[in-house]
Amino acid sequence: MPSSQDRRPWTFYVLSLLMLLFVLFLYGPMISVLVLSFQGPSASLNFPLRDPSLIWFDELFNPTRVGDVPGAFSRSLPLALVVMVLTVLISVTAGFGFRHRFRGSGPLFYMAIASLIIPGLVLSIGILVTAQFLGLSASWYGTALGAHLTWTLPFGLLIMFAILGRLSPSYEEAAFDLGASRWQSIKDVVVPIVFPGMIAVALFGFTLSYDEFPRSWLTVGTRNTLPLEIWTMTTNVTSPALYALGTVTTVISFFVIAVALGSIILIQRRRSK
Amino acid sequence: MNFTPVTAPSGASVTDTSNSGEIRLVDLTKKFGDTHAVKDINLTIPHGSYCCLLGPSGCGKTTILRMIAGHEAPTSGEITIGGTSVLGLPPVQRGTAMMFQSYALFPHLSIRDNVAFYLKMRGVGRDERRKRADEMLERVQLAHLRDRMPAQLSGGQQQRVALARSLITNPRVLLLDEPLSALDEFLRLQMRVELKTLQAELGITFVHVTHTQPEAIALADMVVVMDTGRIDQAARARDIYNSPATPYVARFMGAQNVLTGKVESIEGGIAKLKSARGETFELAPQKAAPAVGDDLSFSVRRDYITIHKRADAETQTATNSVLGTVDSIEYQGNFVKVSLQVPGLDTFVANVPDHDYFIEPIGPGDAVTASWDKKHAHVLDRVDTGASEPYAAH
Repeated sequence: MPSSQDRRPWTFYVLSLLMLLFVLFLYGPMISVLVLSFQGPSASLNFPLRDPSLIWFDELFNPTRVGDVPGAFSRSLPLALVVMVLTVLISVTAGFGFRHRFRGSGPLFYMAIASLIIPGLVLSIGILVTAQFLGLSASWYGTALGAHLTWTLPFGLLIMFAILGRLSPSYEEAAFDLGASRWQSIKDVVVPIVFPGMIAVALFGFTLSYDEFPRSWLTVGTRNTLPLEIWTMTTNVTSPALYALGTVTTVISFFVIAVALGSIILIQRRRSK
Repeated sequence: MNFTPVTAPSGASVTDTSNSGEIRLVDLTKKFGDTHAVKDINLTIPHGSYCCLLGPSGCGKTTILRMIAGHEAPTSGEITIGGTSVLGLPPVQRGTAMMFQSYALFPHLSIRDNVAFYLKMRGVGRDERRKRADEMLERVQLAHLRDRMPAQLSGGQQQRVALARSLITNPRVLLLDEPLSALDEFLRLQMRVELKTLQAELGITFVHVTHTQPEAIALADMVVVMDTGRIDQAARARDIYNSPATPYVARFMGAQNVLTGKVESIEGGIAKLKSARGETFELAPQKAAPAVGDDLSFSVRRDYITIHKRADAETQTATNSVLGTVDSIEYQGNFVKVSLQVPGLDTFVANVPDHDYFIEPIGPGDAVTASWDKKHAHVLDRVDTGASEPYAAH
């Protein structure tokens, strides 16, 4: 090969620069928040970082000065977990239901997906109004849970469609051929094969709920979830405690994603060992 | 491969006393919506035979296999194995095992666990089923790969795993859905031999679906040629090849030329025919004597055709010959495939031994006479209605 063939074209450098800018734009703000959450007692909201310390993390868990962060977290986490479990259960079973064409399956599918395009804030108002009409009070474990499910279920269903679309029916037939009962074929063949997809659904369910703002807005009732609490804080807290909160929530999200991806990779590795 | 006959697994209950793998299909029909996938099929596959269901895609051969396997329920008709009806029974109770076209090995289980799957479903203990799976893997010479996952195996190895997984059920009928189609040419020929050897060693019935003529002829004791939803001919490979029953079979097997004429006279067991184009043919009807005035179709094997150059002006044909122009030449090694354009015929092919061909070579565009001896004319059961059948081999 002549050496001129090995040289990279100028477009490579242009595209690399573009990629670099994109990555900076993506992670720059997150890194800024992370760094500034270790700001010293000077309480400056801007760079530079002076006398790095952990006092704003301490501040965060002291509800007298900032908002009720521990309380908001103690609602957001169980809410996200419940949404996750329900999303997995409903999406997976619905996905299997849709594998067999039945009368009205098309319209039913589009109805299930349609809630994705309804603006979240409008939906929030609608749920509140409906709840009041029915004499129910808004709460994070009631109306907000329903509101979050309108958002996570369509995603879960779409993921299951993609997963099950690739699941060849011959696996179940082979299981049947080898004497498996219907239940054994689901337990020993189908579920293990689609398990990575179920983790993906769980991940979506958790993260979409954990940082959902618009659909929580009017449906949580008197007690805020974490995104609402952060929003409230941005209007009245002017200390790096805000950054500390940003760091803590990001770390939690990363942790959840890492656990989920880690388990997928573990399964894949076991299969191709 | 050295396969030893599979012994019945201890503790496995065999639901029927008869261990015969004779399959009988009676008036079998399968409809999907308004279309017949299979219509009024009657077929008996003898115990211990290697049967190939041969036909183009969509002819219903896989549907028949799936109905025997219990993966598809017939719309009407009866299926018996070993003399007893198996309709409504699950595969294991039928004594059938199916090998899927894609093998359908479970991607999340190791090779050993794939083979042991049947035993696990029956509640056989872990040590026992591992031992038996390892024995089975030993038989297909894959014991050293037992801890691998299916994705790490080659196509040929995957097929052997699929075989081992099917055979561990100790079936009396093994059903194979296009088992060789996923393999490359070299492996296909090798596995073909191994399948035949395996069948002979096990002595059970094999039903093998294929769309490849040479595969069916090489493997089968009994070839069943199918056209859209019906059986055209079920016979020994040699009979299918030499004595096709219908124009469709003659064309599909790819070795025959089909000609048609009207019977003008019958004298001394020899019928004289005249074609629509004025050619005259003679033949000796093997079965029922035709009546004068009837249309009659017959086939002549490609390798029984002799070709001679002729002058362009020569337009009169001798008996048992047609006039044509050479369309294409294909060298095949031991013979040369000469395709002719004959007015009024879709295809006409002569396979000329390469030695003869190169004594008097001909090329595309040459005017030729193609002739044959009347003893090679084989009368078909049905009058040709034109080569409208798709997939006819050329």
